[in-house]
Amino acid sequence: MCRWERAAWHGRGAACQNARAVSDLERRLAAYLAPRLPGARAVEVSGLERIHGGASRETSRFVLRYEQDGLCLERRLILRRDPPGSLIETDRRVEFAAYRAFHGTSVPVPEALWLEEDPAPLDFPFFIMQELSGFESTVPKLLSPPYLQHRAKLGQRKWTILGEIAKADPAQLGLVGVMPPVALDSCWQRELAHWEGVLDEDELEPQPIARALIRWLRRHPPPPAQKLAVVHADYRTGNFLFDEQGEIRAILDWEMAHLGDPLEDLAWGLGAVWQWSRDGLAGSLLPKADAIRIWEQSSGLAAEPSALLWWELFSCVKGQGIWVSGGREFQTGANQDPVLCMSSWMMGNSQDRAALALLGRLA
Amino acid sequence: MKPEATHALERLMQALLGEIAPAVQPPYRQASVSIQAMMLLAIREEFDRAAARRVEENRALRMLFGDAVKTVTDAQLRERLATAAASDDASLRVPELEAGNRTLRALLIELHTHVEGLESAEARRIEAAIWCELSASTERRKLSLGPC
Repeated sequence: MCRWERAAWHGRGAACQNARAVSDLERRLAAYLAPRLPGARAVEVSGLERIHGGASRETSRFVLRYEQDGLCLERRLILRRDPPGSLIETDRRVEFAAYRAFHGTSVPVPEALWLEEDPAPLDFPFFIMQELSGFESTVPKLLSPPYLQHRAKLGQRKWTILGEIAKADPAQLGLVGVMPPVALDSCWQRELAHWEGVLDEDELEPQPIARALIRWLRRHPPPPAQKLAVVHADYRTGNFLFDEQGEIRAILDWEMAHLGDPLEDLAWGLGAVWQWSRDGLAGSLLPKADAIRIWEQSSGLAAEPSALLWWELFSCVKGQGIWVSGGREFQTGANQDPVLCMSSWMMGNSQDRAALALLGRLA
Repeated sequence: MKPEATHALERLMQALLGEIAPAVQPPYRQASVSIQAMMLLAIREEFDRAAARRVEENRALRMLFGDAVKTVTDAQLRERLATAAASDDASLRVPELEAGNRTLRALLIELHTHVEGLESAEARRIEAAIWCELSASTERRKLSLGPC
């Protein structure tokens, strides 16, 4: 067998193995769900298919069918399973709780259904939630007809919903206790220390710009948070579902959610690294000033410019932490998803350029 | 004449993106193939400049260190800067240039931290030069597909 034939044979073998793995996972999912559906019989899972969704969990859609009270029922669901390696290490319990907390509020999210932290049923911890089908989330779709014409409306909705998240009371949502508390004047220190630690642990090469930023951020601390808010922590274009009428149907990827300064979310979403349209629009949707104004109106909070700048620069450290972690995962083989490598190369440099631009240091 | 590596990488990228990816299912795999095509484009850009950008940057950093030596007040750091300024790239192989670059960039962080703590006009001048070099470093690494 020549080298090319061997490669083709290995390719076919991998495809067969993959099909067997999917079938096995469907069987185990059905076995897991059957006792959780009172009165259900003939529980069956099919159509398990990996989709893109978030940086720290393997996301797959599947169809659940069962009989109950003489009816044949079908539900389309999403499985979010911890992978061996990812861009970020997060607590699935917190993500699950965030979905549950906001379900049915003015912040649209899918319904979270089951959380399993025991790795026994599916090899890794996971949770299952409702699939909202028929909507889009990707930036290329957003920048193409028929969605392109709705960018301003989507921007209005995006920052209005973020204002709603900022305005929400974490205690009323039942998230205090699930998410670690933090004092108003310590939000910045905790987040900065966390992401500096990620860089310390995961960087594959020196990061002189991120390190300079960290020193700058420590020399110029922001004012205390105006309130303790739920911070989504990855609130950006690409992490929400939208429809053809310019409505946002769900906010996704709560995997890094925590309690903290609401300006953290506003700053993250304004980042130049999310301006894929290259027309200066925040999140490829709206002028930055408009986005801030909408968020202020919706949240009832103020985005004081120097405080917002602090969080925008912090976002560059955090972003670099994410890209560096993904690069390490790829390098070590913990996760071979090419998006991790690509992010490490492309986004890492863009993140540095975004930081320099904010400091007025980009030539 | 034979096809250049950059040309070959570009053709592979085009084939992956235009011919292979559309035929791949499910959509997750299709997206993954598209990302691999984008990576080939990035590799093509990097292949073209891999040695040049490292040589250029290592040279710029050594000049910066040489310039900063007289401003630095920490004797040990001053000596390490002087040694680095007098060093040279022993090889044009990319892994060796990269190893040298990482050493120099780690030293740049130390220098930057040190001059930030000094109050002289000369320290400000060196600090400004460091920021210029950091800006240039992102230009050298810039990929055409990047958002900024």
